[in-house]
Amino acid sequence: MLVAKRLQKELVKLNEHTPPGITIVSTENFQEWLMDIEVLDGNPLYQGEKYRLKFVFSGSYPIEPPEVTFVKDATHPIPMHPHIYSNGIICLDLLDRQGWSPVHNVESVCMSLQSMLTGNTKNERPPGDDDFVRRNTQRPRDISFLFHDNSV
Amino acid sequence: MKVVIEQWHAVAAWQWDMPEDDMCGICRNPYDSTCSKCKFPGDDCPLLMGECNHSFHMHCIYAWLQQDSSQDKCPMCRQAFKPKDAASTELE
Repeated sequence: MLVAKRLQKELVKLNEHTPPGITIVSTENFQEWLMDIEVLDGNPLYQGEKYRLKFVFSGSYPIEPPEVTFVKDATHPIPMHPHIYSNGIICLDLLDRQGWSPVHNVESVCMSLQSMLTGNTKNERPPGDDDFVRRNTQRPRDISFLFHDNSV
Repeated sequence: MKVVIEQWHAVAAWQWDMPEDDMCGICRNPYDSTCSKCKFPGDDCPLLMGECNHSFHMHCIYAWLQQDSSQDKCPMCRQAFKPKDAASTELE
């Protein structure tokens, strides 16, 4: 109920104005949204691509962070980045309980991810990507990430 | 001509002494409205200002501070959130 009220407000605002490179794909309910993001600064790693983000909201949003992952389909790859696993799971402190703040929202998360991609020059996956992707059965929210790299 | 007032009915409007277009960063409702759980604005759903001068509906900031992961930090500036002394936050 609280989630719906807050998301309804976010949606009204997004419908009035969506920042450049961010597109609403589906917001049919208040449990799961799809958003597309593009990197607009001409970074050759991401040029011409659209990336699809899935937001899953718990009943405690925005006190708890949403679960945000990249989704892969025929037209949307998973962006190459040393903090993004090839299954779409993102290692970003903002999305973890320790780094989340309830003043963040769907728009600010999309913009943070855009800027995380914009600033990246490494065409690589996180160390241990193969292993992690093969073995991981946990939901992103249950994974304890170690945030060791403050440079990205 | 003399008029005798037999009865009168006073009406007053109030608002929090806050910037009008501002809202609570947690629920995104205006300060003059309530948190997402309350129905009646005002003393039933007051605002709380921290020493860092960031304000929220009291119910919203308490819901956040109750979480271990908040580490008792202000959602805006991440400094320790301590309610400002009541005397210095006189909200009208």
